[in-house]
Amino acid sequence: MSAPLPTEAAGRPAALPRSRGGDGAPALPAARTGPDWLWGVLLVLPALAMVALFFLYPLGLSAVSAFQGRDGGWTLANVVKAFELYSLDMAFTLAIVLLSSALVAVLSVAIGGYLTLGENRVAVTLLRWLYRWPLFIPFIVAAQMMRSFLAKNGLMNNLLIGGGVIEPLQAASLLDWRGVVVTFVWKQTPFVALMVAGAMASLDRSTIEAARDLGAGRLRILAEIVVPQVRPTLVVGLILSFVTMLSVMSVPMMINPNSPTMITVDMAYRINAHGDYGVANALGFVSYAMAGLVGWFYLRHGVRQGGAR
Amino acid sequence: MTLVKLRTLLAGAAGLALAAGLSAAPLKAETVLTVLTAGDQNMVDYVNEYLAPKFEAQNPGVKVRAAGTGPGDGGSQKIYEKLSAEAAAGAAKWDVDVAVIHQKMAGQMVQEKMLSAYVGDVKTGTLASRDSARNALGTDVTGYVLPMFHSQIALAYNPELVKAPPKTYAELAEWVKANPKSFGYNGIKGGMSGVGFVTGWAAANIGDATRLEKGPYDAAMKPAIEKALSGLKEFNKSVTLTPGNAGTLDMLNRGEIAMGPVWVDMFYSWQADGRLNPAMKLQLIGPGMPGQPMYYAVPAKAANQEAARKFIELATSPEVQADGIVKRFNWYPGIDATYVQPKLDAQTWAKLFTDVKPDELASKGKPFPLSGYFTDIMEAYERTVAN
Repeated sequence: MSAPLPTEAAGRPAALPRSRGGDGAPALPAARTGPDWLWGVLLVLPALAMVALFFLYPLGLSAVSAFQGRDGGWTLANVVKAFELYSLDMAFTLAIVLLSSALVAVLSVAIGGYLTLGENRVAVTLLRWLYRWPLFIPFIVAAQMMRSFLAKNGLMNNLLIGGGVIEPLQAASLLDWRGVVVTFVWKQTPFVALMVAGAMASLDRSTIEAARDLGAGRLRILAEIVVPQVRPTLVVGLILSFVTMLSVMSVPMMINPNSPTMITVDMAYRINAHGDYGVANALGFVSYAMAGLVGWFYLRHGVRQGGAR
Repeated sequence: MTLVKLRTLLAGAAGLALAAGLSAAPLKAETVLTVLTAGDQNMVDYVNEYLAPKFEAQNPGVKVRAAGTGPGDGGSQKIYEKLSAEAAAGAAKWDVDVAVIHQKMAGQMVQEKMLSAYVGDVKTGTLASRDSARNALGTDVTGYVLPMFHSQIALAYNPELVKAPPKTYAELAEWVKANPKSFGYNGIKGGMSGVGFVTGWAAANIGDATRLEKGPYDAAMKPAIEKALSGLKEFNKSVTLTPGNAGTLDMLNRGEIAMGPVWVDMFYSWQADGRLNPAMKLQLIGPGMPGQPMYYAVPAKAANQEAARKFIELATSPEVQADGIVKRFNWYPGIDATYVQPKLDAQTWAKLFTDVKPDELASKGKPFPLSGYFTDIMEAYERTVAN
């Protein structure tokens, strides 16, 4: 359920084949002869078997059983029921994840931008040290923290009341869709910011200096010079975040388990309360469709990026 | 570099040794009695802290290993899935000896012949005569289960904020309209106290409520059920939805809500532990709110049938029911009250009925609807109220 795993798994296949192809080209004739080639296959085999056994097979099974009734026959009833009962939750899930991704984009560009263009050394160092912390905190721990932080009589409101910012009667609980968005953004921003800041740091600084010489302000340099150049990295980071947030159950379960809620909670409910794997898998199918769509963007992006290099 | 590798190797070896040690450790005792229990954490605590030490002291060489599978029907579902997987794999012995399950799953497991009919073989088998010892939401379970305890859902309220608590579901709806956001419950995905509140609402607003309890099941009731729940959508707009059974009590305690449905035993236990304001009170509203027993069951191919029967015999004995179930964990006894009351002092017995009197419990404590209707009510809620 923690974030780094899926992103790592998804991030690697895109990067690995390319570097392999480049390095391996001269060595190929030697590799082709006899047992060396066999060793290569043998080395890959355990990993392939793992992927096939623990990923491809369950994925296929769940996709198939989304269209099977309890008696084993083919049916569309599961999908119909999933849409009938949970169409609002599907829209809610998509909206939450899209909104969170948008906020993550803004914040990570802001953080990366300040790290690249900021002039106050102390502030830059402090920010660089601080912003990665949420990366090391699992979603479920983040959700538990937010539960006491965002509650009506929680830490945040107590601070605001103590500071005289709001009146006690104005205190409202943020433990609904807003709490989910806050947790997602808090948790995913460092991940994207890390990627974006890295890309920004490796930019050719002469473009930035040139713009500065011509009198451009920092905001304008960020928006018109820096962001366009790191856009591929930003998009990839956002897509990986999107897919990760789509798969999180702990956060909506702990902060906003009531309707409308995210479809991960509905899937767990169908299985736990009704033993109904059919509708749960149909909901899973909808989830793949959402992830698949952005996955398609990712691949298209990756291919185009690779072609340009 | 080599140092790092050596370290990794050592760490790996240590990890393996630890894992092997852990898995081997319980085997040292002659018999390991595995108890799986569905339900909230207090159920696991009860077995681990109270029942297991007692049983181990009486039966040297037997070690009790208890594990919880989670709250609500989902917890029972996990036990069912484990056993049905072992059955499907053709295992000669199943590695669960005693299962503590909810009514809905008990019915299903009896129908699928996954439980052993042990009640005739234990001395305490005749002590539970209440209807729920024989009938689990419409399925005849006679001989397969003994109730561990009964529990009841009621409204908890803060008497400082609510001077005259509502007495029926209709009065509650009026009260909520006048006091928006002061009533909180946990929907149907966050535990059984919210589920019970919803089935109680359905029974209160449907023409033929006894049909939901007694059957027979008829799918043609679906439109009537949807109609009965139609008022809940409006009702939900003026309530606070809480995160879980514990969430309702937490919010009540923090003053964020003034009233909400809770499990009576959890309410008393939290007060006893100092986690809930002792001034809070309970009100069982009409026409009725549901309650349920948890059942002790022995899987059909449990490896240690003999020890399992002994364990349940101890757990359903009047002494343990009095001291463990009633006195320490604030549940209503599973076996008949006539056998339990003499083992307790009058004060402890009275504490059980402080807010909810015995006659109220008899008239307003209802069973959950038949499992077919139960599913229909849950889906009607999702279709008309939540969506």
